[in-house]
Amino acid sequence: MLMSSRRPFLSLSFALLLVPAALVAQDRTVVSKEVSVGRSEATLHLEFADKGRLEVSFRDGSVLVGDSTVGSFQAGDALDRAWRELLGKAVSLDDGALAGMLRSWSPPADLPAQSEQTAKVVDQAIRAALEPPEAPKPEPKGTAKSSQAADTGSQSLLRQLLGRTDHLAELAVALDDVDTDHIQVHVGEDVDVGPGETVNGTLLSVGGDVKISGTVDGDVVVVNGSLELMPGSEVDGDVRLADASVARNDGTVSGDVVDVTANQQDLESQIRAQVRQQLQSELRDRTRVHEEHGISLLAPIRSVVHGLGGIIQNLFTILILGLIGAGVVTFAGTNIDAVAETARRTPGRAAMVGVAGAFLLIPVWVLGIVALAVSIVGIPVMIAWVPLFPLAAVAAVILGYIAVARNTGEWLAHSNLRFTDRIRISNPIHTIAGGLIGLMAAFIAANVFSMVPFFGFLEGLLVFAGVLISIAATLVGFGAVLLTRAGTRPEYYPTDLDSDAAWSAAMDAADHASARAQGGATEEEGGTSDA
Amino acid sequence: MPRKLLLTSVVVASVLLVLPPAGAAQSWRTVTMSRQVSGEHNLDVHIKYGAGRFTVRPASDDVLYRVHLRYDEDTFKPLIDYSGDRLRLGLDNVGHSIHLGDKDSGGEMDVTLARSVPMDLDLEFGAVRAELDLGGMDLTDLTLSTGASKSIVDVSEPNRASMRSASFEVGAADFTVQRLGNLNAQRIDVSTGVGSVTLGFDGAWQQDASVSISMGLGSMELRFPEGLGVSLKKDSFLTSLDSQGLVKRGDTYYSLNWDKADRKVDIDLDAAFGSVKVVWVH
Repeated sequence: MLMSSRRPFLSLSFALLLVPAALVAQDRTVVSKEVSVGRSEATLHLEFADKGRLEVSFRDGSVLVGDSTVGSFQAGDALDRAWRELLGKAVSLDDGALAGMLRSWSPPADLPAQSEQTAKVVDQAIRAALEPPEAPKPEPKGTAKSSQAADTGSQSLLRQLLGRTDHLAELAVALDDVDTDHIQVHVGEDVDVGPGETVNGTLLSVGGDVKISGTVDGDVVVVNGSLELMPGSEVDGDVRLADASVARNDGTVSGDVVDVTANQQDLESQIRAQVRQQLQSELRDRTRVHEEHGISLLAPIRSVVHGLGGIIQNLFTILILGLIGAGVVTFAGTNIDAVAETARRTPGRAAMVGVAGAFLLIPVWVLGIVALAVSIVGIPVMIAWVPLFPLAAVAAVILGYIAVARNTGEWLAHSNLRFTDRIRISNPIHTIAGGLIGLMAAFIAANVFSMVPFFGFLEGLLVFAGVLISIAATLVGFGAVLLTRAGTRPEYYPTDLDSDAAWSAAMDAADHASARAQGGATEEEGGTSDA
Repeated sequence: MPRKLLLTSVVVASVLLVLPPAGAAQSWRTVTMSRQVSGEHNLDVHIKYGAGRFTVRPASDDVLYRVHLRYDEDTFKPLIDYSGDRLRLGLDNVGHSIHLGDKDSGGEMDVTLARSVPMDLDLEFGAVRAELDLGGMDLTDLTLSTGASKSIVDVSEPNRASMRSASFEVGAADFTVQRLGNLNAQRIDVSTGVGSVTLGFDGAWQQDASVSISMGLGSMELRFPEGLGVSLKKDSFLTSLDSQGLVKRGDTYYSLNWDKADRKVDIDLDAAFGSVKVVWVH
């Protein structure tokens, strides 16, 4: 379909090419150049100062000028090589030098006939594009200029036609199934078929306005222009419009009036409408699901069940981590002391090390595999390395998190908040459990709020806060584990001598002793005692 | 030894991640574009390049820009957009895949830019080996952000315009800037992640400037020409400072010629881990 639609234009082009080219001294100013060379494509794209463009492309076996196929080539054949050689020269040139080089290019002499024809079309297209646009000469109204009658103007006509590469695609579609054996071509000029005048054959106008008062004994094709059918005018064929408008004014068209671009637009509109309809349908389905959830009588129960499930899940997580914490305290108490102390004293530094460590985990793991795989001795170790390294990393993360939980528990115990006084600082398992609850409090609160209608935004905020707290605790803990080598190299030695606590204890003891002393004196003086 | 091991592990892992699968054929395409200057009053230039060799130079004639791209057409497609006073150049991934680049992949992008058109230049590149000469252009603003690259930025000639600000954001890189003074910038911001950074403050300083440096992890060398007045205020965590030729007054280091210097540069250094070394050059 596509090829057949271009055939009339090609035959027209080849016919016009039979006229020898005239040399032109001055070139159009090239303001932009693009040379693209790949495996299956070699393209030259020029942009001129007057906004005109030219694109010649050898792509996937086809030679294209603009959007129109003007021939074919085989990858690596003489034509392809000559074209790529030309582009190779064009790469380093600009404007005048580039135009001069392109103009002076001529196809190789030893090309096969078909390639030679294609090369001539390309050469002519480039030369025509480089020629400065001629100032349009206004034609006197009332004269229908025929290209058949003016053979000497055909070269100029071809140049003008090729200079309108932006309309070649529409032209090809508009000429589909049109009789091109008898055709009058007008490019860039207005046409006026006066009363009593008759045009025999097809009338083609590109880039101009057509006014018909007489008769056209064939089709009328208008590309990028307008058509006015005056009263009494007759078109004994079809009117085909591409990027053009028509005013009938009581003129007679025996065939159809077809807007070929509108047909394409209709197709695009149909596709767009289908896509829109599909999207609307999907959105409607989703909305319906939401609405169903929203108005269902089971919705409140579902929220409560969902919230309770979340709470149970979080409590279960706390339980598991608490059990692990108890085990760590029992079997590696000094290690967790060292990790917790580093996390408490330098949390920022530990967090940075934690971040760096997290990024390095995978590279170190991969490096270990590579390093061990290159030696026979290392291969058995590698088999252990592959699963054990990730396990060790997970263990380090959990150990660090528990250490941070312990610090959090101690902080809560000192905070004098309600219920936190039940955390016994002297018992690390207590502090770890309290800290785990504290670290996950945001998640639990989010679960509670998820059961209450209209508090969805609060649930989201709390989950966000919980995630941030968890990430921070994990990174600080992991960093502290790395810094202390899992608690085997304590950076700080925890001491029981807390100066504030010691001072408070000393004051308490002094008060106690003072009270005792006063009590003894009272007993002696009064001889009574409150046992 | 552990530090070397760590570094090696990162490099090896990175190479493993970025190497194309064995036997994967690449289909190279070259694109050359150029445009002549035609009355542009200013130009907003954004160049984005992922992996390969990357150069930027000033143009020698009436060229607004000239770009030469070599890329794997199965993976990338060129991004070329010139409209009015905006120029966008670079490569985009084909489809939705994320390509992990390799600076030695064979891809290349060479850009030359007009000297005579005032421009805001925004350079964004990833795993590249970059050589940029920004000298002699008419830059009014400069933003350079780079990922894992080895980059040398040279301002070989004085900038024609007074630059509002120059910003260098460096990820994991070996990054060198030479002749910063030629930028003619009022303010220079340098932010580095991990790597080795050398900042050369030589060049023709036409005005006093304030420089803000934020360094994550790595080493930094500050190269000052004799005659330039330098003040350096350091806020660091675990960073050593070799403050050769600077004296400390209060919490700020000053060059010996501070009070008499014609041109002065105030440097605000915020560093986390690493080392900072001051070198004076003749």
